[in-house]
Amino acid sequence: MSATPVARQLVLGPSLGRATLVLSAGVGLLAVVSLAAVAFGTTGVGPGEAATILVHRVLGIGSVSWPASSETILWELRLPRVAAGIIVGAGLACAGTVFQALLRNPLADPYIIGTAAGASFGAVSALLLPAVLPIAVGAWLGLGMIQLLAFAGALTTVAVVFAVARGRSGTPVIALLLAGYAISSLLAAGVALLMFLSGDRLMAVVTWLLGSLAGASWPRLAIAAPLIVVSFTLLLLRWRTLNALLLGEQAAAHLGVELEREKRILAGLAALATSAGVAISGTIGFVGLVVPHLLRLAFGPDHRLLLPATMVYGAALLVLADLGARMAGGIPVGVVTALIGAPFFLWLLRRSLVAHAR
Amino acid sequence: MAPHRLLAPLVVLCLALVACAGPAGTSSPSAPGAGTPTASPSTASSPASLFPLTLTDDAGREVLLEASPERIVSLAPSNTEIVCALDACDRLVGVTDFDDYPPQVLEIDKVVVAAAVDVERVVAAEPDLVLAAGNELTPSTVIAQLDDLGLTVLVLYPETLDEVYADIELLGRAVGNPDAAADLVAGMEQRVHAVVEAVEGADRPLTLYEVFHGEGTTYTAGEGSFLASLLDLAGAEPLTGDAQGLLTPEALVAADPELILLGTASYDPSLADPGTALETVAARTGWSELRAVRDERVVPYVEDIVTTRPGPRIVDGLEALARAIHPDRFDAAP
Repeated sequence: MSATPVARQLVLGPSLGRATLVLSAGVGLLAVVSLAAVAFGTTGVGPGEAATILVHRVLGIGSVSWPASSETILWELRLPRVAAGIIVGAGLACAGTVFQALLRNPLADPYIIGTAAGASFGAVSALLLPAVLPIAVGAWLGLGMIQLLAFAGALTTVAVVFAVARGRSGTPVIALLLAGYAISSLLAAGVALLMFLSGDRLMAVVTWLLGSLAGASWPRLAIAAPLIVVSFTLLLLRWRTLNALLLGEQAAAHLGVELEREKRILAGLAALATSAGVAISGTIGFVGLVVPHLLRLAFGPDHRLLLPATMVYGAALLVLADLGARMAGGIPVGVVTALIGAPFFLWLLRRSLVAHAR
Repeated sequence: MAPHRLLAPLVVLCLALVACAGPAGTSSPSAPGAGTPTASPSTASSPASLFPLTLTDDAGREVLLEASPERIVSLAPSNTEIVCALDACDRLVGVTDFDDYPPQVLEIDKVVVAAAVDVERVVAAEPDLVLAAGNELTPSTVIAQLDDLGLTVLVLYPETLDEVYADIELLGRAVGNPDAAADLVAGMEQRVHAVVEAVEGADRPLTLYEVFHGEGTTYTAGEGSFLASLLDLAGAEPLTGDAQGLLTPEALVAADPELILLGTASYDPSLADPGTALETVAARTGWSELRAVRDERVVPYVEDIVTTRPGPRIVDGLEALARAIHPDRFDAAP
């Protein structure tokens, strides 16, 4: 193996000190924004009361001096929402990193090979089901069905894209991208048709498509969180493969990567994390596209550091964006992620361009 | 006015949802407002004897009220208006930022902002009764969330005048004031009857009620909708679109309405002047040859809110419609 500095770094990993610094800064940031997001909301339950309630609830210290509603707001509304922000943000950023490496495409995001379109189609179908099912069934299904069909829709779509893109000599990246694009377009047309037919339920459809963490609850998290944690762990274990892929498929194969098998595993895991996130929050954009780029520009391309870093910083960005969205009167969180992330990203891009020119 | 321009599509969407009820039978399983008190009062006297009470709301859900609710959150302006008309305005502890009537509700905390229910604020208001709207005006996911949080939620979605009466009576029982509800409904019925009498025997012009217009797309009263039934009562032949009120340009020209009521003038000040409204409308592709435009029967209609908000003032809306359609049958000013 040639001993260029980049290749050496990719194989040996980043220096321990640097990795520790990057990750502990990220964890610190995440802790700060999470605490802020728990402490502030649209009602008068502020940091002091929030802290007292949490201490009482977790440690059993102190006596109840607050209305029951404050505890509900904190425990049933804010905490699950922050937890959902962490899990979904981390899952999306991690999946985005993997897809960008796998497809070697700077515009790749967690949704690129059909997860978003599949999830949207599934969720919108579920939203419209009560209109055709007997009402008794519909009322009961109403909630769980959306998440279930969104999840199933996303995973099925990725499987179909892979099946379509598979040729005699493997699955070319370009075929994956094109098949993903075509199938996404087909499903998007289906969503548009369903929206047209949805009539008075249109509002519910639009709300879901915009993406939101407002519906977060402990039971939903209990299903999504393990899926995301498991796929993240398995992805992190494959950091060598991801690094090898940065050198190109051929080089990766020479380094002993079983390309076809690894591609399917990586895409499958990333799609799993994305689907679990999308199922509980709708399609929140931007986090999965820009956070990986941002961190790559800042900390370099090594996935051993990059993957955990994207998780932590992606989580922090989404929690912060959701806090902003809540405080601004419930505007879509995807708008805020873009508003925060895009200018910062542009600044970083300019900085790196100028640095290279020198 | 930038905020107005941003809000307009949202407002239109809300109104379209209110105005254009789907075909009968798609949204509510049971007769809306068919409340069934389990503990029916033997002597309808003190409010306390009316409770506990089980009501069936417009979504067909059974809702148990242990006692007369003292802290009510309303998630729709129509619900707010009913509560206030039943003398329970002072029990409201949360309303929407669309609420504008009666004026005192402007002072109440807002729990719905820009059409989004802020669940945190609903919980903080500590309501013992939450009045949601049906048909996704309050998203069903939010209703489920409020249920899960242990709040008492009553869903109201009247799609006809009779269902408005039924919902008023339902809320009358809910707030422990059925007599006020009965009086209110009787008064409304009387005024509706007066309108029907006033327009009796008059020509029934084929009327386009413009709910929304943009880029060649016109929304009018939906087929079988509440709005269509009001136009009918007000002495017009409603020109209806599909179930959502969508009317294609071809269908519009083919139908050739005799009268156009610009409900859009309620939100677009540039349409409020009759002269410029006629010009604006005539400039639209295919509209200049419509009978209503040639005969200059294009009326800016600024009472859209009361006409599409299914509360006690719906009768004001009906009267305004009848005046706009048959000015000759009424005194000059209300």
